[in-house]
Amino acid sequence: MSEQAHPARPGENSGSTDPGSKISVRGLKKSFGTNEVLKGIDVEVADGEVVCVIGPSGSGKSTFLRCLNKLEDITAGSVLVGGIDLTEPKVDLNKVRQQIGMVFQHFNLFPHMTVLENITLAPVELKKQTKEQARQSGMDLLKRVGLEEKADARPASLSGGQKQRVAIARALAMNPGIMLFDEATSALDPEMVGEVLQVIRDLAAVGMTMVVVTHEMGFAREVADRVIFMADGVICEQGSPEEIFSHAQQSRLQDFLAKVL
Amino acid sequence: MQRLPIARRTRPGGLAVAGALLTVLAMFFGVSGASAQVPSAPSNVEGKTFTIGTDTTFAPFEFRDSSGELVGIDMDIIRAVAKSQGFTVQIKSLGFAAALQALSSKQVDGVIAAMSITDERKKVYDFSDPYFDSGVQMAVAKDNTDIKGYADLKGKTVTAKTGSEGESFAQSIAGRYGFTVKPLDQSATMYELVKSGNAAAVFDDYPVLAYGVSQNNGLKTVTKKEAGGSYGFAVNKGQNAELMAAFNTGLAELKDNGQYQAILDKYLKSPQDTVSADSSFWALLVSSMPALLKGLQNTVVVTLISFAFAMLLGLFFGFLKVSHNIVSRGVATTFVNIFRGTPLLVQAFFFYFGLPQIIGQPVNIWVAGVLTLSLNSAAYVTEIVRGGIQSVDPGQLEASRSLGLGYGTSMRRVVVPQAFKIMTPALINQLVILLKDSSLLLAIGFAELLYQGQQIYSNNFRISETLLIVAAMYFIVIMILTKLSNIVDKRFNK
Repeated sequence: MSEQAHPARPGENSGSTDPGSKISVRGLKKSFGTNEVLKGIDVEVADGEVVCVIGPSGSGKSTFLRCLNKLEDITAGSVLVGGIDLTEPKVDLNKVRQQIGMVFQHFNLFPHMTVLENITLAPVELKKQTKEQARQSGMDLLKRVGLEEKADARPASLSGGQKQRVAIARALAMNPGIMLFDEATSALDPEMVGEVLQVIRDLAAVGMTMVVVTHEMGFAREVADRVIFMADGVICEQGSPEEIFSHAQQSRLQDFLAKVL
Repeated sequence: MQRLPIARRTRPGGLAVAGALLTVLAMFFGVSGASAQVPSAPSNVEGKTFTIGTDTTFAPFEFRDSSGELVGIDMDIIRAVAKSQGFTVQIKSLGFAAALQALSSKQVDGVIAAMSITDERKKVYDFSDPYFDSGVQMAVAKDNTDIKGYADLKGKTVTAKTGSEGESFAQSIAGRYGFTVKPLDQSATMYELVKSGNAAAVFDDYPVLAYGVSQNNGLKTVTKKEAGGSYGFAVNKGQNAELMAAFNTGLAELKDNGQYQAILDKYLKSPQDTVSADSSFWALLVSSMPALLKGLQNTVVVTLISFAFAMLLGLFFGFLKVSHNIVSRGVATTFVNIFRGTPLLVQAFFFYFGLPQIIGQPVNIWVAGVLTLSLNSAAYVTEIVRGGIQSVDPGQLEASRSLGLGYGTSMRRVVVPQAFKIMTPALINQLVILLKDSSLLLAIGFAELLYQGQQIYSNNFRISETLLIVAAMYFIVIMILTKLSNIVDKRFNK
């Protein structure tokens, strides 16, 4: 893991991709109009690695994450997921996205469906499972996040923490190899943060590859294999939690940590 | 619409005397021109069917009786002629202007609609021998014994219909007899003014007054009619010569055998003071209900069909409007701009009168009506759909797409169901607007509820009561529709 903790700097080994990487990002740039939000990102994420992305708001963390399943169009550079280049025009995005679960800050549960229907929608629609199978594995997932008794409830009747746990279960329904978390606890009341983090922690424990954009420094320190500090659209510093939180090199990171810790 | 039947009698120039002269000349040429065609064998028309356009309602020439049947002097004459000459007629009650447009676009073969024969019109149409000599007459309140002639009008106010021959005649003698003329738009208002004593007399077309008097409208005539224009049956210039010849032959026969006079007497003879029919509101309600219910049925059917099409089109264009493709958005925007940016009536006229000229064949009135209402309404539904879809949190689509579901599936399963919930109140609103807008189709002669109401009150002069009944029927149907929609809304958007 330690090699990945110091991944390729821009330009180094740009010709080939590390066969062990689940995600390989090269020279990623993203602009909204004339506003360049990502100014050249290079990252490798290994199989089973948990990467936490921290940084001040507006630094481009979420945009970076949304480029990994192409919810945002990519302005320049390449993003390879499981060896497939998302910037290729012919790539079947729907297929790639089935391999990537995503959890949003505001849950984005489907309010017109029950909890279980939220989870079984994709497997059934994409004909990966029969209704009965989907229902069975949906219940298993709910059990995993501790909400099996809420299967027939509507999202509106759940607390924030419960909603986010359902959202995680939904993201897991297609059996993805990668999970992306976009500030998954930022919209929660403090007393509910713990239950959601516990679910993410459990996923890390079973070896799920994850990229987690978070403001929970304690969690990042505890769970991450590697921490990336982003500011102004670039990766400023990265390393093991120990390196980032205890031996920050750059003044920007030191200032940031001084504010949040 | 009330103005149309009268406005047509206005001749360009408006000078009564010159106009009358012109009409006499016109009559003369009309007679000789048409008579020349008489020898062509009437047997040419035997067994044929001709479509004849007429006004929606212009008693006593064409109007619907209490059973909804189209009757009147024009109707009786054309039917009697058809019978004597062995052809059949299919009457299309369109409205005066609309009937002439239909003639130009060849949707009808001829027009009989109490139309004055004028030089102006003879450039475009061939006229039959005159079948009715009109003219202006004065009427006063039934119980008025003071006014026996124009001289008694000194210092008083009279009324006449704006822009009609009656008005120009009244104006022409106003100075001489020292009265003032107050023009009004509606026959019924004019008569009310006279009955209430606010006007001493009314100047109107003789047959209209005579019919009104025969229907006990509270007036009486005390002077003779002034000579005026003559009415003729018209076909497109240079076309349908055998139909025209048959009409003239038939008309001559009717005049010879007394049938013609019988028809005039039927509508114009003064009342023999027979007991007038039960005039209670209840009786009106009962007698008008069959015709009104027929109209209501047409209203509801055309509304529902149009709404179904409007929904389909609106969904289609609504989706185009939220698509990322600039061409699709442009197509949808253009559609909305065209049909939201032009009046419904213009669209109705276009589909019924304009389209036949373009495609070279008649358009069924139901087709024209549904086209008008559905396309117009679809423009609004498009905007409702766009608004509904755009008001769904974009995170919903993102969440669905991030699961690997395609755009179509995501819209169908995630976005649209939520959008529909948001849209439902606006759609119910649109349905109600559509139902009310369908009344505008009366302008092309579509026999919907208000049209039927017009037919009834132009016949019995009970405007306010008839309109109240019509309004109540609209109200009840809209209430039922709203309630039903709300129940459906609750069912599906739980």
